[in-house]
Parts: sequence; C-alpha cells; structure tokens
Amino acid sequence: MGLVVEHISKSFAQFHAVTDLSMEVKEGSIFGFLGANGAGKTTTMRMILDILRPDSGQITWNNKNVNEIPRNKLGYLPEERGLYPKMEVEDQLLFLAQLNGLSKQAAKTELNEWLDRFQINANRKKKVEELSKGNQQKVQFLATILHDPEILIMDEPFSGLDPVNANVLKEAFLEMHRRGKTIIFSTHQLEQVEELCQDVVIINKGQSVVQGNVQEIKRRHGRNVIRLKLDNDPEARWLDTMQGIRVDKRRQDYIEMYMESGFNPNVIVETALRHNGQISLFELVEPSLTDIFIASVGSTAQPDAPAAVLA
Amino acid sequence: MLKDSTVIPEAPEQQHQSTVIARSGSAANQNTLRNIRLITVREYKNRVMQRSFIIGTIVILVLIIIGACVPTILTYFASKSNSQTKLTIVNNAGSIAGLSGDALTQYMQTNLNGTQNASVTSGQSTSGTPRFAITTSMPDRVNSLQQQVKNGAVNILLVLDRGVDQNVRYTYYSNSTSITDTDAAQVQSLAAQLNFLDKSSRLGLTAAQTNSLFVAPTFAVVNVGQNQDTRSTGTRLAGYIVAFAGIVLIFMSVFVYGMSVAVGVAEEKGSRIMEILVNAATPFQLLVGKIVGIGAAGLTQMTCFVIVGIGAFLLQAPLLTALLGHASNGGLGVDIANVSVTLLLIMLLYFVLGFSLYATLFAALGALVKRQDEVQNAVQPLTMIFMVGYIASFIGISTPNALWVQIMSFIPFWSPTMMLMRIGAGIVQWWEIPLSIAITLVSIFLCALLAARIYRFGILLYGQRPGLRQVWRLARSK
Repeated sequence: MGLVVEHISKSFAQFHAVTDLSMEVKEGSIFGFLGANGAGKTTTMRMILDILRPDSGQITWNNKNVNEIPRNKLGYLPEERGLYPKMEVEDQLLFLAQLNGLSKQAAKTELNEWLDRFQINANRKKKVEELSKGNQQKVQFLATILHDPEILIMDEPFSGLDPVNANVLKEAFLEMHRRGKTIIFSTHQLEQVEELCQDVVIINKGQSVVQGNVQEIKRRHGRNVIRLKLDNDPEARWLDTMQGIRVDKRRQDYIEMYMESGFNPNVIVETALRHNGQISLFELVEPSLTDIFIASVGSTAQPDAPAAVLA
Repeated sequence: MLKDSTVIPEAPEQQHQSTVIARSGSAANQNTLRNIRLITVREYKNRVMQRSFIIGTIVILVLIIIGACVPTILTYFASKSNSQTKLTIVNNAGSIAGLSGDALTQYMQTNLNGTQNASVTSGQSTSGTPRFAITTSMPDRVNSLQQQVKNGAVNILLVLDRGVDQNVRYTYYSNSTSITDTDAAQVQSLAAQLNFLDKSSRLGLTAAQTNSLFVAPTFAVVNVGQNQDTRSTGTRLAGYIVAFAGIVLIFMSVFVYGMSVAVGVAEEKGSRIMEILVNAATPFQLLVGKIVGIGAAGLTQMTCFVIVGIGAFLLQAPLLTALLGHASNGGLGVDIANVSVTLLLIMLLYFVLGFSLYATLFAALGALVKRQDEVQNAVQPLTMIFMVGYIASFIGISTPNALWVQIMSFIPFWSPTMMLMRIGAGIVQWWEIPLSIAITLVSIFLCALLAARIYRFGILLYGQRPGLRQVWRLARSK
C-alpha cells in the first residue's frame, strides 16, 4: 500500500518533464528520490501533492487518489525555501499550522516542543530574515511537519546545511520515522540516502532508471571493490601482475581495486602474506550509490529545465 | 510555452460527485471560511503592524490636521499681526445724512469694524482689537496730519468737504504702497453709503424709507426639469463635497491598496512561500483572504483619515472662537450635519465595491509577474482603465446630466466613481443606484472567477510573463 505512482507522464508544451514513471513508497518508510538537476523530481513531487495533475497515469495513497486526501495529511518542504521574510518565527509557524487545520492551542503546544528540540527557542520572536541559513532551514522544516502530516515530501532538505545542523535535521527525520510517517525526500547528498533510506528511485530525464531497496540495488550492481593496505608495502606492485583484479587507484591510505566475478578475494590475502606484507586493512566494499548514480545517469551534467516551465 | 491546460489543479467542486466527496466537500467549505479568516487576519495584522504603515498614517493624519487648521491659523495671525489702522477724520462738511459729530463717528465705526465692535466708548473690547481706530480732528490741523500720515503716526487721513453742488467730497490720504491693501476699498464703500444716505435725506426721505430701498426682492427659483433637485444649497454643496471626497478616497484606495495586493502576491511568489500555501489553502481562499485583509487595513486607514478630517474641520469654529473671541465665517457655509448618513453609507459601499473589483484583477496581475519590480509594469493597463473613470468623474461633475456620464456610470470599472459623483450631484433616479451596485457586484464575481483562475496557474509560474493571449487561453481552460 502506501503511496503508489503508476505510469505518470507530464509534459509542458514540447518538454517532457516526466515520462511513464512508476514507483511505490511503503507506508512508514523513508524513500530517497534521486536524479540530476532537471530530471523531473520537483515536477513529480508537485504531482504527488496535487499541485500539478499528471497528463496520464495516477497517484494513489492507500488506494485513494491523492486529490481526494485532505491537504493537511501532506507536508511539503519546497526546494526553494519559502517563508514570509518579515514575519516572526512564532507567528509564521502558528499561522501555517492553523492553516493546515490545527487549533491555535494545539499549534502552540507542538511549536514549543519542536522549538526546544531544534534549540531555536531563543529565535521565536525574531523575523525569519534575521536568522542564519541553518536556522531558517529548521524553521522551514517545522513549517512542514508542525501539523503532523502523514506524508512528508521534502525537496532537498539537506542542501546548504553544515554538518551539525544536518545532524539535527537527520535526528528529526528519524523521529518522524519513529512516529510512523512516510517520508519522501530528494537530495544530491547520496551518503544521506544510504544512511536513511530503505528504498530509492533514481530518475533521469523524467524516467526511472534504477529503483528498489538500497541494499538490493547495491548487490545488483555488485562489481565488488576491494581495499587493501599493507603497512610495510604501500605500493604493492605485485598486484599489477595478478589475474582477475584491476587496480583502480593507489591512495595514501589504501589501494582500491576491482575484482572480476568469480574471483576469490582470499587469493589476495594469501599472496600478500607470501610477500611478507603486514595487512592493516582488507575490505570488500559495495559500490556506493554515488557510483551507481553516476553509472546510471551518466557522467555528463544535465542542463536545467528550460525556462517558463514550472521549475 | 504554456499551451498545456492541465497546469492548473481543478477546483475541488469539479472533482467528483461520489457521496464521500460530497461529505468532504462540505468539510472543505467550513475550512474555506476558516482559512479565509486566518489569511485575512494575517494580512491585516501584517499590514497594520508595519512600521511604514503606521508612520505613513500618522504623517498623513498630521497633514490633515494642519491642512484643516491653516485657514484658522491664517485668520488668527492676520488679526494679530495687522496692527490697527489709525484713521483720522477731518469733517469740513458738517452734518451728513443727519449725522454729525459723535453720531457720525459712531456710524463709521460700526460700518468699518462690523457690528460687534460698534461701541466707541467701550474701546478695546475683550473680543479683540477693532480693525480701525477712528479719531476726529479739527480742519486747521490738516497739514500737520498730512505730515503724520507721511511718517506713519497716522495711517489714513480722510477729509470730508461739501462742494458747490452740495455733494460731499472725500479726500483719502495714505502712505500705503501695498497692493493688497483693502483699507482704501473699505473706506470707499463707506463713502458710497454715506453719499447715498446723504443724498436721499436731502431729497426728504426718512431713514426707514431709505432702508426699504435696500431690501432684496422676492426671487423664487422653480426647476421644472425631470431631475428635480429639491435639496437646499447647503445640502447640495455638502453632497458635492462628499462625492468629491469619496472619489478621491476610492482613487487613493484603489491605487495604494490595489497596488499592495499586487505587490503582496508577487512577494509571496518571490519568497516561494506560495508553494507551501497552495498545499494548505486553495488559490481562491488565498485570493479572497489577501484582498479582504488588505482591504480591511485600507478601510481602517481611510476611516482614521475621514474621522480625523471631519473632527478637525468641526473643531475650527470653536478654535477660532477661542482664539479670536468670535467665529469669522470665511468658509463656504457647508453644513457638515447636512451630509446625510445615507450618502456616507453609499460612499462606503462604492468604496468597498470599487476596491474589490480592482483588487481581484490586481491580484491576478501580481500573480503573473516573476519579480516584485515587474509589478508596476504589469498593472499599467488596469491603472489606465481606472484613470479614465477617475478623470471622467471630475469632468462629469459639471455636467452630471450628460448622456455619456449616464452611460459611463453603468460601466463596471467606472461605475463606482461615476455613480458616486452623480449621486452627489443629486440627479439619479431611485432605481439607478441598485442597478449600478448590481452591475458592479456581478462584475466583481466574474472578475474574481477570472482572477482565481489566473492566480491558480500564475502563482507557480516562474518563467517569462505570459502575453495577453496566453493568459486568456489559460483563463478559459479548466
């Protein structure tokens, strides 16, 4: 169940923003939505929010068309941050929470709790434009979740955050996850996807190229990588003549190599010991999502979507 | 680029008709009012709490008060700074119109200084200094008096002689070079009156007979035209003034607050908060909430202006009395009390209607621009249409019966100001007011529908501003 996107297409004039995209987001999961700039992520999110309607195909939440579910079940964090710059944090969040159906009292209670959690209680009477970028992003996040929506749709929530603030936000993500919320978010920072998401979809030019469980995808793309470090022989030139492996890069901290399928990694350990090598690191590494992303999307950068399209 | 019609999410009522939706539809209606109220309150507060709004209001209020006080202050200073005119009379003519000596002086005193300072003997009354201080002198002192006029000890020397034809001749000596000197004119008119009285008494008329010559004839005006105006002149004048003020207020409100609606929409679009708002409220709710909120803020400001303005004007008479001890009636004689409550209510109604009509379109235009600084440009066509009606209202005030005025007063965009002008001029049939209101209401409704559609796709449109044809195509699409 959860959110099911079936064969949706959307074009603006001659430009095909999304073509025959299908995906499924399980209820209560964290779902990563990946793609290069202009790949159609924002358009897809807007269709899930029913701000745009697909030309064909349908989007359902627990078998109900998304245009039938009450607006306040959805929380949206747009890519370009949107708040009233001259309005006080507290007033602003109370207004948005009430607009999303919360009573004033309930909104205040929620607000107090979250301002404490985000350690921005001191800023509640400040205007949004006076806040640092990180704090603005926290306020934006609160604007998305304060009314306790079932589905959170976040466009690049981590962009522009320093590691400390990113961590605070990550904690909030996990908190919402614990509360059983379904979270869909797009990002360029693939480490976060690997860390947080169970499922992921990578889209390119409006089409799905890779999707499924993160671990399965990695296994599927299992051109395994080996990392080796010998304390007394950092170069380990003997690797170059070995059959079944190909050294990719020699770094200060380790040597990275690809192995062909069917190759037994133990052979490397045995050979290293034969060369009296002192092994301080030996590791079988799965490909990172970054590798998969680049492999599937292509290394060429996408131009941004043409102007006059709902960016 | 935007041929695509489905950019716009459909209105909720068009979606489905199953029973489930019907239920949630009624819930959505309750939400509509709640959301509109929330948005309205935010807009209102946001506007009214702005420092620029508060300061602007205060500055204009101060200007209104100063403007109202200026005539009073001028009168006050004129009466204070204009030192008394010392007038010395040398009478060689003897008794004039049966008056001589003190009686003649007293007559002159009364005539020149007004009835309130008639008494010579009471001298400086508490109610202020008389304009002219009159003294009489002997004929043999004329030469020295002329010298005194020259050096300023005496302002005016008036010498009266009787010529061979028995007519009194007046010789006026003065040292004044001021072109705005009114003393000579006043003295001259006094001379003319004395002359008239003197001649009529020599002809043997009694004072009563002479006075009866001055009584104005009975002169009744009966207007047999179709649009009879039975109101008194004071009421009519008050009507004109209310209409005039109303037109100016509507003009200001449409420009200032209509512009703020457009800028407000562009701001929300620019700061991208719109993307969150459309998820929480429908474009229609956002549109209505914004217009009502800003309209209410505008009405608050206007009400302040009107109340303070009327108050300041009403204060002038007591103020003048307090300063000078008497109220000089230099005004138009407009009786504010003559402005009927009905007329004020009609003015308020047209104010609200006019603002609402334009504000919907201002909002739609604001939704079409990409950046805030483009707003001015985008609203230009609308302000042009509005200016036509505004100027026509002022031209029409002198010919309120003209056919073109009557026609324009029923054209929606011009109706509020034109009709207000005609009502002020007092020449409307009873059915014309409700008709124009109905026409305006229908136009507001239609414009709101159109605006809500433009708004719906415009607020998420970040590309180039679409042309008129594209807007039309999008507005027609669902």
